[in-house]
Amino acid sequence: MIEHVGDDAAMYALGALDDAQRDACDLHASACPACAALLGQACDDVTAMVEADGVPAAPLRAKTLPRAGLGAFWPALAAVILVALLPASLLYRQNASVTAQLAQEDAMVSRLASSDHRTAKFGPMPGGHSARVMYGPTGSWYVVMVKGTRKPMQVAWMHDGEKTMLGTTRSLGEVAMLYLPQSHRMEKLALMDGNEVVAEANLAY
Amino acid sequence: MADGDGNRDLATAFAARERWAFEEAYRQFAGLLYAAAYNVLGEAEDARDAVHDALARVWRSPGAYTPARGALKSFLTVCVRNEAITRARSQNRRTRLAVRLAAEPVEYDELRIGDPIESDRLRIALAALPEEIRRPLELAYYDQMTHVEIARALDAPLGTIKSRIANGLRRLGAAMRHA
Repeated sequence: MIEHVGDDAAMYALGALDDAQRDACDLHASACPACAALLGQACDDVTAMVEADGVPAAPLRAKTLPRAGLGAFWPALAAVILVALLPASLLYRQNASVTAQLAQEDAMVSRLASSDHRTAKFGPMPGGHSARVMYGPTGSWYVVMVKGTRKPMQVAWMHDGEKTMLGTTRSLGEVAMLYLPQSHRMEKLALMDGNEVVAEANLAY
Repeated sequence: MADGDGNRDLATAFAARERWAFEEAYRQFAGLLYAAAYNVLGEAEDARDAVHDALARVWRSPGAYTPARGALKSFLTVCVRNEAITRARSQNRRTRLAVRLAAEPVEYDELRIGDPIESDRLRIALAALPEEIRRPLELAYYDQMTHVEIARALDAPLGTIKSRIANGLRRLGAAMRHA
């Protein structure tokens, strides 16, 4: 059993401990009322911070509550969590060509973080999916992001009654994206599933 | 943050794993728990899942909560926040960052319409702390860094960082309660 919790109570409540250290605190507190109280006080302090930090208005969606006897909720959620936690780097490491892909993704993130950009939504998407395009103010670069589906989709430039294919989105876990690091001004983009236009976005400059 | 009699009954029943207590705790604290997760993850669906996962973990672990651990609300809030932090550390940071950066500001604003006066209270209370105490506390709360990472980032001994965070959290908690 570890020593008394001491200052680790604050680390515990703030989430600054790793899982093993947290478990050790829990184990110790289960047999030490003084440390249990210390942890309780630290949790009160952090809860006061959370309450004062602004509570989002979005309500929790009605969802099956977990049951002590377990139900269908858990296998499904566990599967989702498992997929979500699989590090992309492990999946990709086997492929030598992935290094360049990861570098491009880093470049994309860096560009989104550091560059002024505009956003346009793709029109109503089927199946509750959503998509948008972020682009440079002069149309010199584009990031297309599709949420809610991992299925690759083609991105096309719509102009003069024609479609010019620009590329295909690639799944990055919860979203699929396409990054066009160098391009030109385009007023209308389309997301395509095969030959079918699924949604369009009008870009303002 | 003392609980009233009603919440003491709820805490006792929750510790005894009575089903109604779980449902009542969820009903009472869902908004706060969602806020705790959302403020870490910044994404609604992830936040909802973190709440459900944390609550289920507590419910499935006999003895995880006892009234000796203090207010049930605070215990659950920290459980959810820790779950959210674990998720945030584990998930693909590249994708997460891209999603956040690409999110339209209006969505963020719609979600964070908490009482601005309350938010100001936290900022004011933090600002009142000395720099050497405030900074590690901010890194732990806002950036979800571990105490080891904070010590490294601030180039200070681990024991010093722990002591400053603990000191800062006590002072901040007291300030929030007496504001």
